[in-house]
Amino acid sequence: MSMKRVLSTMLPGSVIALSCLVQLRALADDALLIGDVSRGKTLYQSCEACHSVDQNDVGPKHRGVVGRLAGSVSDYVYSDALKKSGITWTETTLNRWLIDPSAMVSGTKMFFRIDSAQSRADIIAFLKEQTTAK
Amino acid sequence: MSEESKNLSRRNALKCMAYGGAGTLFALSGGVLTPFNLADAADDKASMMKYGKPLFLQISDTHFGFAKEANPDVAGTFKQTLELVNGLKEQPPLIIHTGDITHLSKPSEFDMANQLFSQLRVTEMHTVPGEHDTTDPDVKEYFSRFGKASNNKGYYSFDHDGVHFIGLINVLQFKPGGLGILGDEQLAWVKADLKHRSSSTPVVVFTHMPLWTIYEPWGWGTSDAPQLMEQLRRFGSVTVLNGHIHQIVQKVEGNITFHSARSTAYPQPVAGEGAGPGPLKVPAGELTKYLGVTNVTINKHQHSVSLTDMAIG
Repeated sequence: MSMKRVLSTMLPGSVIALSCLVQLRALADDALLIGDVSRGKTLYQSCEACHSVDQNDVGPKHRGVVGRLAGSVSDYVYSDALKKSGITWTETTLNRWLIDPSAMVSGTKMFFRIDSAQSRADIIAFLKEQTTAK
Repeated sequence: MSEESKNLSRRNALKCMAYGGAGTLFALSGGVLTPFNLADAADDKASMMKYGKPLFLQISDTHFGFAKEANPDVAGTFKQTLELVNGLKEQPPLIIHTGDITHLSKPSEFDMANQLFSQLRVTEMHTVPGEHDTTDPDVKEYFSRFGKASNNKGYYSFDHDGVHFIGLINVLQFKPGGLGILGDEQLAWVKADLKHRSSSTPVVVFTHMPLWTIYEPWGWGTSDAPQLMEQLRRFGSVTVLNGHIHQIVQKVEGNITFHSARSTAYPQPVAGEGAGPGPLKVPAGELTKYLGVTNVTINKHQHSVSLTDMAIG
């Protein structure tokens, strides 16, 4: 069998394998871990350079963010990109957002990422509490 | 022990208590940093003269308008900073503010800043904006007050006492993840600005975000800073100052000394600790140990620049 033939035989399988890997990676990124509200509250201190639960800051206030349409806090000035994104903030979309905001919505003002999946889950668990706690 | 010895011991003890947590004085000579005991230099003019004459004082990250748990009274801690700075026996000729003057770029926050800055004994202040100073949609609040020096560009240079100062802006664009960007236009301007300068000219570069990558996952760096460093390498003494990370971090690379200053408002975690950078709540009574300013002197004889970090409490 010629090398060309070998490559043409192997390539489709390789592409499928690679495609599966990419999809698995995407699934892993989107997979939600169980969050710890208490740890999330501590980690939220990291967000407070730009955010508050009850007041707009550099970023919009977070109370009620889970279930809210992106770009919908009336007294905060959003980027056009986020206003037009059509995203509703759920645990899944927030997780993707915190992985890399600018990859999810190009042109957003937020650039900060959280690499740890557990930390993202903890912060999201804390934010979820802010929907109903007050 | 004689009465005089007792008094001297007591004075030394008080000096150590007052400055024990204040940090260390570093003299830079030929690219090598040498530490000195700050307690010896703090109120002894003769000792200070060994290190050189006051060149300028760096203030950073005042964050007027911030009122969260980490420090509900940033004006109060700045007033303590005022006392520290105005109490220096030898007043520096100028002050450099490395950005985040305000927290949210609001007119009221800038007004508070100007009101408090006017109480400094030193009247000459040079600034660069932080990302918190440029959050208003048209970025006009900072530039309407501090834009004159740079003709509203954000970058400019000036000379003082034989030292060439360059203020740069790296907070108008960000890489995903948060690294700052200087941009081609600004880099070209620096090249032209340095073109005819002698390599023996001491150079001080100041900006808000670090011009060296301290911790990329948190955006603590500037993506195109290496291009700037290429232009600075031929100079015999280069001091690169920044704020943004609210803590002292220092590095020496050849003849270039990089130095990150404390904030006067609140500390941030050490790189990599916790989920990310943000206001760090410290035990009650310890906050002022984490806040402070940097005093910079120059020794012309040795062509050296010295940095002293002082905590406000």
